[in-house]
Amino acid sequence: MATIEERVVAVTARVLKLETSEIKPEHIFTTDLGAESVQSVELVAMFEEEFGIEMDEDAALSVENVGDAIKFITEVCQAQGVEA
Amino acid sequence: MRLILTDLPSDKRYHFYPLALCRPIWDLRCGMTSLSDKLIAKTQASDIACFVPPYMAEVYGATSTWPVNDATALAGDDLLVVNARVKASDFSVEPTGPSQIAVDADGECLYARIAKEDLARLNTDSIDALLESAKATLSAAEGEVAVWNYTWDLVLANPGQLTEDFAALGQSGVEGTVEEPKALRGSENEVFVARGALVHPMVVIDAAEGPVYIDEDAEIHPFTRIEGPAYIGKKSILLGAKCREGNSIGPVCRVGGEVEESIIQGYSNKYHDGFLGHAYVGEWVNLGALTTNSDLKNDYSSVEVVLDGRRPIDTGSTKVGSLIGDHTKTSIGTLLNTGAYVGAMVAVTTTGSLLPKYLPSFGWFIKGVVTKGFGKGKLYETAKTAMGRRKLEWTPAMEEMWNEIHKITAPERSEAVKKGRRALAAT
Repeated sequence: MATIEERVVAVTARVLKLETSEIKPEHIFTTDLGAESVQSVELVAMFEEEFGIEMDEDAALSVENVGDAIKFITEVCQAQGVEA
Repeated sequence: MRLILTDLPSDKRYHFYPLALCRPIWDLRCGMTSLSDKLIAKTQASDIACFVPPYMAEVYGATSTWPVNDATALAGDDLLVVNARVKASDFSVEPTGPSQIAVDADGECLYARIAKEDLARLNTDSIDALLESAKATLSAAEGEVAVWNYTWDLVLANPGQLTEDFAALGQSGVEGTVEEPKALRGSENEVFVARGALVHPMVVIDAAEGPVYIDEDAEIHPFTRIEGPAYIGKKSILLGAKCREGNSIGPVCRVGGEVEESIIQGYSNKYHDGFLGHAYVGEWVNLGALTTNSDLKNDYSSVEVVLDGRRPIDTGSTKVGSLIGDHTKTSIGTLLNTGAYVGAMVAVTTTGSLLPKYLPSFGWFIKGVVTKGFGKGKLYETAKTAMGRRKLEWTPAMEEMWNEIHKITAPERSEAVKKGRRALAAT
């Protein structure tokens, strides 16, 4: 089974039309990966769908890079009792 | 006699959503005035108090001249308690007389006339307690009480009500300025231009089929055509609009494009081209250029509206446009389906396709689906900016009220967001 990190990268690649190999934890979604504001919203929605979780939109959209997204989603999964 | 207006939490309040999410039902417009104006005129009351859903009491109380949710108003005088949904035009109850109560099929009080001497044997601790004890004690009133059942009732009644209200006010003539060349069709007696209103040259006022009332400080720009019956509210501006019959445009609006048989509550903008028909639009709404609503189905069948995100309600009318809640913004080129429900605080970024018939309050419509978007905080920032442009303040009490509305509307929004996520994932 894929790890949280692998799944976050896969979703990011799919939404932003990138190769998974192009995405690193330190990459900032907007400036490094080219996410436009609407794609940020789409990313939040797709992470929720991928992991079966509900994220607070203000908190989720304040996450800037891929590594922090992995950490944030891991915490949300734990808080909501979702096995990931 | 003291008139007590009631709009209490009930199973029917949502029939007036999204407009009644942030205001009492009696604040809705029909014709030239609000439902409360009509009830007050009908009962000739001068002493008035009111009861609203608790979550909106502070905001409403900040602008109301009446006591709001104050149980002390339930003592000391004869009372005429009237439900906000009661139709003033059909309300023929004498304001004073023997105590009696009328309830609807679900037990909701439509009106109660309570003589002062009977108050002593009733529970006046709260409006709920008063009405419960009145139902148990007072004799039932005879006869039907006509009520407004849904928001679209107001839209459909608007043309006739405009004509009635104009006649009741009994004003005609020009107190403001009408610049030459002017074009007036119909009788001058069917037109009133109030003090401070300015009608530019090349405006057509067509009162042949109904009266036209242009209220104080309104401004009508060239090439606008206003067909009566119509009411243009204080400080509103029409910008070359094709204003078809039956419109009520509240105060401080900016309206262009084509508008027909619609009600705009106030402080809203539809600046550009695009058609709005048989619609009810709340306050602080901005309809982007070319936003257009359908108000007639291709097969001429009666229009259905979804008010709760689930069950369509047959309006029984072939002409029903959109219901658009307060603080909602639509992007350019938005296409609203026949009988569309667009909640309050909705942000629409359209894809060019026809929108779903139901958009929940606080939903962000992005990439063809409902999302959580940028959250309510961003919507509040926009609301604050929009109100600031009209020198009005977004207050902490308003934020508290909207936070409550966010909670009230959460179930249908959550369902729409989940559906949206699945649709996005499938693409």
